Amino acid sequence: MTIRPCPCEKEIAGLLACGQWPQAAPADLRIHAATCRSCAELALVTSTFRAARATAAAAAPLVSPGILWWRAQLRRRNAAIERVTRPILGAQIFAFVICIAVAIGFSASHAAQGIGLISELTQHFRPAQIDVTKVWPNSIAGSGLALWALAGLIAMLVLLGGVAVYLASSEER
Amino acid sequence: MPMESMLPSLFAGEAFRAAALPAELPSDTLMGNEAFAGFYSRSARPLWAYLARVSADPALADDLMQESFVRFLCAARPDDGEVAARRYLFRIATNLLRDHWRRPRQASIEELPEEFFAAVATSGQSDSRMLLGPALAKLSLRDRQLLWLAYAEGYSHKEISEVTGLASASIRLLLFRARRRIAALLRDQNPQRGLQP
Repeated sequence: MTIRPCPCEKEIAGLLACGQWPQAAPADLRIHAATCRSCAELALVTSTFRAARATAAAAAPLVSPGILWWRAQLRRRNAAIERVTRPILGAQIFAFVICIAVAIGFSASHAAQGIGLISELTQHFRPAQIDVTKVWPNSIAGSGLALWALAGLIAMLVLLGGVAVYLASSEER
Repeated sequence: MPMESMLPSLFAGEAFRAAALPAELPSDTLMGNEAFAGFYSRSARPLWAYLARVSADPALADDLMQESFVRFLCAARPDDGEVAARRYLFRIATNLLRDHWRRPRQASIEELPEEFFAAVATSGQSDSRMLLGPALAKLSLRDRQLLWLAYAEGYSHKEISEVTGLASASIRLLLFRARRRIAALLRDQNPQRGLQP
């Protein structure tokens, strides 16, 4: 499509922008606009849009600028806080992964003892007649190392539980 | 009870402002409360008119206008004066409108709540309202934006390019086609206006 703008368009656009069309336009320009398709379209479209703009602008329901300014400050502050806390979250995840790895390593190193404990439990555990002395294996009771291992496992579980609770609460926030 | 009185007075003070600002944004690019109030009073109505007419949804225009101003305040923009600031604001609003259009809609945009404008239109303005609403509804979003920015706001092709992100060279052709289309629609609706100046 070839666009050939009329040379009079600029003058008409200037008058339209000032709101002086067609009152302040010379007679020859008005006659030209009545016969030139491009200028007539310009005048029609511009005057219609300007009138619509005035109507719509008058109808604008405006909120207080103070509220918007306050909202912007709040959003900016939250963004700043998020930027600061992002590395902390990364550190939390890193610590959690390390804890999991240590727990897995610890469990693997004591797997043999754990299997022995489970087999003892399955042999002695009867719901009808629970006897703690039978359930508690002699190997553990006799060995100080095994007791330390059990205490370490419980401590690890408590630690992991604490980390998980902390992570969950920080996500909610 | 006015909303402002419910806000803590601390938020309006310099102490809060200094505490709230992130270190990355230099303070000269940020607008103060009073400066913003002046800018808002001069820019809010034209922006709302643009959003309401292009989207044909006054409620959406309310939301997008507020979001535009909040994003404008949060952005680190060069201090090139009010004209550039307003152009930047229109750019934010245009992007928000485009994002809104790209999201799946539940209601058709062609369901124009034009009655909203009827309540405030004076007799002299009702003619343009009655003509423009249905005519705009038949155009694409891009054509509406281009036409509004060019003929309601009086932006140049270069300024429209900055606001819409379209290439400056293509705007001339797009605008020419859009103007021809809406002029034909306006003439069809009111043949008396035809070639009258």
